[in-house]
Amino acid sequence: MAPESGPTGLLTMRGSTMRRAWVVFSAALLALGCSKADAPQSLASKGDRPLSVYTVNYPLAYFAERLAPEGVEVVFPAPPEVDPAFWKPTPKEIGQYQRAGQILLNGAGYARWTRYATLPKSRVVITANGCRETLLKTGDAVTHQHGPGGDHAHEGAAFTTWLDMRLALCQASRIHDALAQLAPATKDAVRTNFEALTRDLTQLDTRLRSVAKASDDQPMLASHPVYQYLADAYGLRIESMHFEPDEALTPKDIQALDSLLERHPAKLMLWEAQPLPETEQALRDRGITTVVFDPAAQPPTNGDFLTVMTGNAKRLACATGAEACP
Amino acid sequence: MKDSLYLAWRYLHHHRAKTLLLVLSLTVFLGLPLVMHAMSAVIQQSLLARAEGTPLLLGKKGSSLDLVVEALYFQPKGIEALTAADADEVDATGLALAIPMRTGLLAQQFPLVGTSLDYFAFRGLETADGRALAKLGECVIGADVAATLGLNPGDSILTSPSTLFDLAGVYPLRLHVVGTLQPSYGPDDRAVFVDVRTAWVAEGLGHGHQDLATASGDVLLKRKGGTATANAKLVQYNEITDENADSFHFHGDPASHPLSAVIVVPADDKAGVLLRGRFVNDSARQLLRPAQVVEGLNAQIFRFERVLQIIVWTVGLATALMFLLVMVLSWRLRADELRTMTRLGCSRWKAVQIMSAEVFLMVGTSVVLAAFFGFVIAHYGETWLQNLVLRGS
Repeated sequence: MAPESGPTGLLTMRGSTMRRAWVVFSAALLALGCSKADAPQSLASKGDRPLSVYTVNYPLAYFAERLAPEGVEVVFPAPPEVDPAFWKPTPKEIGQYQRAGQILLNGAGYARWTRYATLPKSRVVITANGCRETLLKTGDAVTHQHGPGGDHAHEGAAFTTWLDMRLALCQASRIHDALAQLAPATKDAVRTNFEALTRDLTQLDTRLRSVAKASDDQPMLASHPVYQYLADAYGLRIESMHFEPDEALTPKDIQALDSLLERHPAKLMLWEAQPLPETEQALRDRGITTVVFDPAAQPPTNGDFLTVMTGNAKRLACATGAEACP
Repeated sequence: MKDSLYLAWRYLHHHRAKTLLLVLSLTVFLGLPLVMHAMSAVIQQSLLARAEGTPLLLGKKGSSLDLVVEALYFQPKGIEALTAADADEVDATGLALAIPMRTGLLAQQFPLVGTSLDYFAFRGLETADGRALAKLGECVIGADVAATLGLNPGDSILTSPSTLFDLAGVYPLRLHVVGTLQPSYGPDDRAVFVDVRTAWVAEGLGHGHQDLATASGDVLLKRKGGTATANAKLVQYNEITDENADSFHFHGDPASHPLSAVIVVPADDKAGVLLRGRFVNDSARQLLRPAQVVEGLNAQIFRFERVLQIIVWTVGLATALMFLLVMVLSWRLRADELRTMTRLGCSRWKAVQIMSAEVFLMVGTSVVLAAFFGFVIAHYGETWLQNLVLRGS
């Protein structure tokens, strides 16, 4: 509409300009007012936990898979070629753990990255906590002193807790509680699954006990210090070396082995995986039988935790003479 | 009426300086009580909103106001510390979620707040840029910190040494900024958030250093059996990186590490009551409802506001009288002008309409300006006002 002429028309035009200014001013005020009200709300509301469980090793993932009801996703994200105990996840992978409904840690210092990662405490379950009065130590720390803090040592705890089947069962019971909390509606299904897992682990425990008893307290060696809980639970006399299955023994290793054999005349050596043929031969030359006892920290190519452990028990029983070899 | 408004507008426009002075004095007169009221309301509302958003707060026995002010608004009050065991104790009841809070340190003059990831979900804080905390040595900064210091993810910020003249004290820790938070229009905007364990490292309770088992001889004073004693040459890290993160450790029992307070989020009302019952006779700790404490503070602010109001209204009355005087004198000075208008055929009533329109335009403009300033202060001065009140509380 064309503006009217004359004083009144001028006033009308000025008036419309003022009205427009007022509208703009009001809109600005409204926008300012909205800026706070429109502030984004939290994406992470407290009640909507995702139905996912992240674990730091395969045994925990296996227990969780056995117990988890339908709809609960169990994730063990460590790459297969890495020892999960020493895996260093990226911030992105830590972010995936942070978003999980429950985070299952082993405890006993397992998975070193959890010492410096930021995880939501409310969703973290340290499965080995409270399962033993005292954790076993690795015993290879240096006590040191610097500054005014006094002596201290960074002695690590032995962490392959699940090789003691009773401890494994205790860890599974913690997972049972965590799943019941995550998906309360499926509590009964989780309970039934837990009863089945309890039967399997108890059978395995009984078998390992009978194998250990039949081994008649014979000294054994271990390629790595990972069998502390196995030895402690089943009364095995195991001394550990630091040998890698995929590396040949060096003269220094042989020297250390011979030195150890003088005070610990073992006829069996437990290995996490099949050693190289030349290593096996060097051991055979010293009258030592190689027994693969896989801790199963990573998922096996075939089978599952239970079949791996049953295989371990079978091989140990065969080597100790507790059972006839197949 | 439109004609009267037009003539009034032309008159005011012609006498711009006088009009401006009158409008400004009227704006101050009208704006002061408005701004004061808006300030008071905003402070009370925002303080209360944050306090009401915090169901329960666990701290050492002492001033409940200091505890709330330090734990919720991050203003250092030097409150006595709890231990991590106290937070674990709350967690162990299964009745509530315990969110640890470690305050008191600064990072480039902004409060450093050590907490857990649960805090961000609890407060509804969202990342604007970057990501959440993932490791020790990382920090997420509030919107104001990012804007003031010009920091973005990928930059770093130093913690301030706790004791300036303590040469043997704790060195500043370089924190990696991994995320900035979206504005929340509260104290979180002015905070630097870290994992509570990072706060302990910054305090000197934890540290990382060269591995003494493999360290060269020049950093060792002596090595005897399984014990090594290092000299001052031992490299201690002032930054937590992927390479040295493994070496960081804490001395002593982790359960004894200090917490300024613990935000307690009960599962439900019943759990809250049960928890309060457990702490009611505790001689060393207090579990309080922050809203109750802030209501007390608000009552004090309200009393102070009433005293101020009396002063402001007295000044306002004087301003109004001055305005009236100016207008009366102005009309007297304009006697000739009014006479000319009458001779030109303008009625007496029209002259009154024009004069009234002048007053209306001036008062109207002053009201709008006063409302605008009141609104801006109430809306954008919230954090500033909170700090102003809480520093002195």
